[in-house]
Amino acid sequence: MLQLLRTEWLKIKNYRAFWLVMSLTALSYPGINYIFFNIFKEFTERKDAAGQIANMFLGNPFAFPEIWRTTAYASSFFVFIPAIVVIMLITNEYTYKTSRQNIIDGWDRNQFMASKLLDVLIITGIIVALYTTLTVVIGVYNDSANAKDKWSLTYYIGLFALQTFAQLSIAFMVGFLVRKAFIALGIFVFYFIILEPMGMGLLKKYTNDLGRFLPLEISDRIIPPPSFVGRFNEEDYKKALDQVNIHILYTFLLIAIVWSFCFWLNKKRDL
Amino acid sequence: MSVLTLQNIAKSYGKIQALKGVSFNVPEGSVFGILGPNGSGKTTLLSIILDVLKADKGNFLWFNNPSSPAQRKQIGSLLETPNFYHYLNAINNLKITHSISHRGNETDGIDDVLHKVNLFERRKSRFSTYSLGMKQRLAIGAALLGSPKVLVLDEPTNGLDPVGIAEIRELIKDLNRKGHTIIMASHLLDEVEKVCTHVAILKKGDLITSGAVDEVLIDEDIVEVGSADMTLLKNTLQQYTGVIKLQEENNLLQIIFPKGTAQLEAINQHCFNKGIVLQHLLLKKKRLEARFFELTNN
Repeated sequence: MLQLLRTEWLKIKNYRAFWLVMSLTALSYPGINYIFFNIFKEFTERKDAAGQIANMFLGNPFAFPEIWRTTAYASSFFVFIPAIVVIMLITNEYTYKTSRQNIIDGWDRNQFMASKLLDVLIITGIIVALYTTLTVVIGVYNDSANAKDKWSLTYYIGLFALQTFAQLSIAFMVGFLVRKAFIALGIFVFYFIILEPMGMGLLKKYTNDLGRFLPLEISDRIIPPPSFVGRFNEEDYKKALDQVNIHILYTFLLIAIVWSFCFWLNKKRDL
Repeated sequence: MSVLTLQNIAKSYGKIQALKGVSFNVPEGSVFGILGPNGSGKTTLLSIILDVLKADKGNFLWFNNPSSPAQRKQIGSLLETPNFYHYLNAINNLKITHSISHRGNETDGIDDVLHKVNLFERRKSRFSTYSLGMKQRLAIGAALLGSPKVLVLDEPTNGLDPVGIAEIRELIKDLNRKGHTIIMASHLLDEVEKVCTHVAILKKGDLITSGAVDEVLIDEDIVEVGSADMTLLKNTLQQYTGVIKLQEENNLLQIIFPKGTAQLEAINQHCFNKGIVLQHLLLKKKRLEARFFELTNN
């Protein structure tokens, strides 16, 4: 394991594109949360009647403990940025044919896959650390709630980690199957931004919400929107909260399927 | 002892049969050339023994044991093209080779091979800035890391200039003198003839022949003779027993005998008895190129 980590570190240590996209990720997560926070602040600080009503209706999603859910939900829209890094790291191996060189040099095929699994875990770790830091910073800045409740929703760290890992695993699988960086990125981003939301909408309308089993939606549903959304439609929001547990199970299943398939295929196919 | 044993290896790409049941042994301490025209299956064969491709049928043994990652770590290999991370320099690329294979020493070992392949001055340049020849030399350097006892080299002189080719040839000879086994695929017959002790010839996936170079090259004895009166010499030798064919080449006469039957002393005596003094008498080895064309019908 340490040897795999060391080798992967040697691959990315001097890879400028990796650090550039990771820097963009580090900027984009605080950026999007800051934008949401500002919109919220501007809206609720208005002195007119609409501002007063919004203040009463929305509460403060950026104060502890609700902030844990709010930032997790907002940040989940930006998983396609670290997905770029994941896709780059796997497609590079095919572009440079180093996937075969690593095997020639003495790794077995499972070790190669395990090294890529470590990459995805590490990137997930970085994103989760970023989320946690950001949440604490915004939360402390907005802290008006009573202190004992502060950490009651910290389990969202785990949920956010699970969701990020699941979605980055799907990005990895796309890169692994397609092998060409630009095509893989195009497919993932198109699916993430257009195809799945469209499919979700259609399946919600014409089937019994079968869209919940779409690859990204499975893990999307483990982080429900901030609680103020429930005030618009209490029944739907309660349903969303009730679905969380079963979707955690689905997400674990999805992760197991994705990685089992990748390990199996890598063992089977010619390099 | 065999370093590598191939048993009935077959591989297809769809309808195309790249290898059709190839079997041979690579003896320890040999420079084993795998020869064949483009598309004959050389790279496919090397890819299979390095576990990059899966054979459809047959198996192979390294040191009489089934292939394993631990064995591959002990084999220095260059397959098809130099495969390195384009954004890394030579040192960092070789650190990755070392980290996976554990061959050699991370600092001295890397510097040592970079000196050997004349890349030390450019060791801190990114791989993407290298010329084709430099990339090839780095790949050879990676294969040499830790001085492995077995080297598998696919077209090792690809992209090298004449000086580079000669350097690699000398390097291979030197390693062989030190007891290393080298398995190399090439379509450059001259190169193979100069360095190989053993050879296997492939054509469209079939193994045409394999064995020691001398055995493969010699299917008949060629004796080259010359004298002042070539007409008389030709008439005299036409009656000589055991001659398959007489042919003229560059003002000399070539006498073809069945393999292992030519006796220079007897030919000289025969001519002398007929009043002909020979100015030139030589038992000639057939060139690999000619033999290769014969075997592959090209």
